[in-house]
Amino acid sequence: MTPWISVLYCQVMDNAVPIPLWAMLLCYALLLLPAAIAWYFRIPILRRLGVAVLRMTVQLSLVGLALVYLFRWENWWLNLAWVVGMIVFATFSAINNSELDYRRFFLPVLAALGLSSLSILFFFNGVLLDLDNVFSAQYLIVIGGMLLGNALKGIVIGISAFYQQVDQQRQQYRYHLAAGASQWEAIIPFFRYSLKAALNPSIASMATLGVVFLPGMMTGQIIGGSTPDTAIRYQLAIMVVVFVCIALSVGLAIGFSLKRSFDGYGNLRVGVFKE
Amino acid sequence: MEVELQDIRLSLGGQPLFNGLSYTFPAASKTLLYGPSGSGKSTLLRLLLGFVPPDSGCILIDGQLLGVDTVWALRKRTAYVPQGVHLGEGKVADFLEDLFSYQANKHLAPDREAINAYFQQFQLPENTLSKAISQLSGGERQRVAIIAALLLDRELYLLDEATAALDEALQEEVTQHFAGLEGKTVIAVAHQTAAPGFDALDIRTILSGDG
Repeated sequence: MTPWISVLYCQVMDNAVPIPLWAMLLCYALLLLPAAIAWYFRIPILRRLGVAVLRMTVQLSLVGLALVYLFRWENWWLNLAWVVGMIVFATFSAINNSELDYRRFFLPVLAALGLSSLSILFFFNGVLLDLDNVFSAQYLIVIGGMLLGNALKGIVIGISAFYQQVDQQRQQYRYHLAAGASQWEAIIPFFRYSLKAALNPSIASMATLGVVFLPGMMTGQIIGGSTPDTAIRYQLAIMVVVFVCIALSVGLAIGFSLKRSFDGYGNLRVGVFKE
Repeated sequence: MEVELQDIRLSLGGQPLFNGLSYTFPAASKTLLYGPSGSGKSTLLRLLLGFVPPDSGCILIDGQLLGVDTVWALRKRTAYVPQGVHLGEGKVADFLEDLFSYQANKHLAPDREAINAYFQQFQLPENTLSKAISQLSGGERQRVAIIAALLLDRELYLLDEATAALDEALQEEVTQHFAGLEGKTVIAVAHQTAAPGFDALDIRTILSGDG
């Protein structure tokens, strides 16, 4: 076992200074400050802020509770089921946040997210970290969540951009079909455009990493007791696999959805977009 | 290439456009379809390219029924100059390169000389190749699309108001050129018949606009 991984194993012991309940309450009390400003200047965000804080608290507490048990039981199929559940949820969320039709895109997006995130996840845990148990909740669920969260954002941008461009640039698309392009040749410019749109945010954040902000994962690991060396290696590795996961999932989602979205003549089908 | 329309019926947005349209364009014919705005001229060309399916009736191109199995091969034998040509972004050279990078067109990739000869014929400056498409005027874009169509050297040419943005001398030059293409079938549509050079084509008014 390499030293930087052994450091991470120690994290299980929870090296971070715990936050007691009164301190959590004090932290939440800080919210009164912006809330008071919002109230005084009648900025209409109070209700939404209240709902968001409540949702965040309840959701994370429930996940925390679930994770406590998942960590305690350490059951491989339960951990895997949890990740699969996250994939399904991410699929709903991705399509919900796009203009695309549920029935047409659910399966392609599910397959794309599942294939890309699971393959990258097992590569990360099994090959890069060389874990004895690749199904360990500590890695499977945590890294899986990280990959899915980012792939989800990428798919929302990428697949929407693709179909919107084909729709908006219909005349250009048809021109190339009429000039003898195959279906694939005619969609390449749109594929290029959508992949660029989906990957640009990751490229931008890679380029500013460390200069503009310290990413959450690294911060968390350092507080948790990892050495900066370990934390940085993890962060770099995560940035790379997240990037690859976005590229794969967007590419696959478009690829898998083509047949359902274009007819035999190469025309975009009616009903690709939400009513 | 013979193009045959058999009893085509089509409604768009609840409005009947073609109500049993039948017509045959003989092989190597040069036809100008005249019709008022909204009579379905552009739609007819899109029908022939498989972009709009008819409600009923069928289209035979060179004896082949236009369908999902044949449309891809037929498009490789057709060149289309659409109305208000949208050629995309980038330079004219990139556009042409894209066009001739397609599997179906690779063997037709033109050399600089062939391109320049057409540029000269249709009065485009030689540096047009290095210009961005967005910098071209409507008439220049139209001529680039016409030249691309000619370089594709197809059996069937579908021209949708292809000379509308050109001056009279060029209108005549372009129309005469297509009229003189030996063995090629040309179907042009226009909302007027009086443009210079149109008398070289077989003018038909099969589209009345009242269904």
